[in-house]
Amino acid sequence: MQQKVTDSVERPSADAGAPVALHGSTATRRRRSFTVRKGLAILAFLAPAIVFVTVFIYYPMISGSQMAFRNWNLTNLTDTSWVGLKNFEAIFADPVFYTVLWNTVVWVFGSIIPQFVIGFAIALWLRRRFRFRGLYQALIFFPWAISGFLIGILFRWMFNSEFGVINDLLSKVGLIDTPIPWLADPGSAMVAVTIANVWYGVTFFAIMILAALQSVPEELFEAGSLDGAGKARMLFQITIPYIRVTLGLTVLLRVIWIFNFPDIIWAMTGGGPANQTHIMTTWMIKTTQRGDYGQASAIGLIVVAILIVFSAFYLLAMREKKEVNS
Amino acid sequence: MKRGIVAHKKLFTGLGLGLAAALALTGCTGSSDDGTVTLQMVESLTNPARTDVIKGLISDFEAENPDIKVELISPPTDQADQKIQQMLQSGSGVDVLEVRDITVGPFATNGWLHNMSDELADWSGWENLTDNAAKYAKNADGETFYVPYGFYGLSLFYRTDLVEEAGFDGPPASWDDLLEQASAIQDPGKNQFGYAFRGGTNGNSNVVVAIEAYLADQIDEDNAFKLTDGSTIFAAPEARDALKTYFSIFEEASPPSSVAWGYPEMVEAFSNGSTAFLLQDPEVIATVGQSEAIGADQWNTAPLLTGPTGKAIQPMATAGWGTAEASEHKEEAAKLIAFLSEGEASTTFAEQNSLVPILKDAAESEFYKTGAWASYVTMNENPDTYITAVQPRDSAWWTEWIQKSDSELQQVLIGQMTQEELLESWDAYWVEKWKNE
Repeated sequence: MQQKVTDSVERPSADAGAPVALHGSTATRRRRSFTVRKGLAILAFLAPAIVFVTVFIYYPMISGSQMAFRNWNLTNLTDTSWVGLKNFEAIFADPVFYTVLWNTVVWVFGSIIPQFVIGFAIALWLRRRFRFRGLYQALIFFPWAISGFLIGILFRWMFNSEFGVINDLLSKVGLIDTPIPWLADPGSAMVAVTIANVWYGVTFFAIMILAALQSVPEELFEAGSLDGAGKARMLFQITIPYIRVTLGLTVLLRVIWIFNFPDIIWAMTGGGPANQTHIMTTWMIKTTQRGDYGQASAIGLIVVAILIVFSAFYLLAMREKKEVNS
Repeated sequence: MKRGIVAHKKLFTGLGLGLAAALALTGCTGSSDDGTVTLQMVESLTNPARTDVIKGLISDFEAENPDIKVELISPPTDQADQKIQQMLQSGSGVDVLEVRDITVGPFATNGWLHNMSDELADWSGWENLTDNAAKYAKNADGETFYVPYGFYGLSLFYRTDLVEEAGFDGPPASWDDLLEQASAIQDPGKNQFGYAFRGGTNGNSNVVVAIEAYLADQIDEDNAFKLTDGSTIFAAPEARDALKTYFSIFEEASPPSSVAWGYPEMVEAFSNGSTAFLLQDPEVIATVGQSEAIGADQWNTAPLLTGPTGKAIQPMATAGWGTAEASEHKEEAAKLIAFLSEGEASTTFAEQNSLVPILKDAAESEFYKTGAWASYVTMNENPDTYITAVQPRDSAWWTEWIQKSDSELQQVLIGQMTQEELLESWDAYWVEKWKNE
């Protein structure tokens, strides 16, 4: 009971009119005024961050989202009236949307699976101690520091059918007789942009998985070794279970990231030929280019909705697996 | 309590300083106490060499007008028009801006551009403008939203040596000639190609030029997508013939990968010596001139390709300088635009950027009569053969059209659409747009 009274005294909200305040001692009032001041100070310190986040993140987000329900076209802003779900209806009625949606799935999973496997292998390799390990780490992590758009431009020229280095190499080793028009054919264009993304994103997995691997205690491997476990068994029964949460979250982050990553495709193909390499975000950029911010914003909201649903199911699946394991 | 007051004072002082800094940053455009006016000028088609030329011209202007300062903003080309839109929408930070024929429509519709008719009413420079420049400087209602600084017009870049080796006397004059010569030169085994085909970004522009050449006798010169009978150029039977030739050039005389080629690949293909023909704007003259793969004696330009009528339609593209409606210094802005649009400044800008000039006397200078520029003189001297017509580039839906037509052109190239379906789709698009106008 005594504890309860003290609590109510210290709460800033229990000020005027509260029985304890009326009958409290001078020391209690001092404590209370100190607490109010402290609260104000905390608020003052937090204010810049709150203002920053509100002005630069939430306001543009909400402002952008409401465009999805308006006739918001830069070519004519004299009428930006509310149009309800018209922008969404136009998107769902466009056959390109379904091509773009499928391309996005191919783009995400076609990129993430090789990135994960190769990144994991590199991380395992870099975990071992060997000469110049630091140099190798730096070289492998370097691509992550380059702009995705620049990577796209480089790969665009590398995949150029007539003047590109890739056809040249394939031809020199005798794998092809005639140049492959990589970016001119819908199938090979999707392969080309995915290869570029795999090359770029492997690094991220290598960094994250290496950091997780370094947290696995050596004692576990020593115990496994004493029990006669081989390398593969130690990988699947010690390493992976230990870093499972990091792996799960890294994959989730990458899915969201790749889903929202237009740079490489935009620089390499611009979504072509004939929309066959567009993903949701490149399609959104293309829509803004013709000034239709209403429809572009609607595409953005569809992306957010898809990612929220995916993340919810993914996290749920991870939790269920954890419960089964425990 | 005293400590609390001090803390509050500090807090308000900090906030006050922050506010003052913000005001100082946002209030950098305008007049100073000594009466000097500072103009904010934004360019759109930015490149470093061009920016240097503009800065030089601004220095000359400031020397002549010591009470006016000009601050040049040069956003990267890819984002420039969006940046300009944002600045215009916010209503601050821009006085003079680069207006393109494809942006003037939306900018004017949104009320962002100032009609400079009053400020330029007594401008002496009107008299020396070429007919084209004068035509573009005023819209149908006589309003001046921008004064062009030059024109981009197409000509055929060709390899003199390859044409001669293939047994031809001179460059192709028509689209059919191009098909014949480019097919003869094409040899993929040697990595040698006939024509730098544009299948990627803006690929629609060259198809339309081919169609217009086949219909040159019937084109409405004020709207080059229309025939004089009011129908679209895409509905005419001649358009089918044009497409047949045009896509044959792709199949028989171009690299297969050119489905995805945009400006950089086309220019590279010609500059590195692997491709014999290229249809491009004069700005490419300077780029090809710097090529280490082909010498000055190995290439030249020829006039635009004609259709079966022996005529061609030159679709002029242009851009110029305009004033923002929200500018508080419209008089000074007009003064700067007048300076850039006459005399030495205009000639320098056009020559340095390989543009067809806006001034009558500049067009007669030696610069435009020699070398690769000679084909432009030929075209200018034969206006009945090389007819200048206005494409509806100022339509609000022009960017939408570009995206649609580019995408459908690629569909034909990769076999997802027939040539007939393409023409039907384009015809239906423009009929619908004009119906709703």
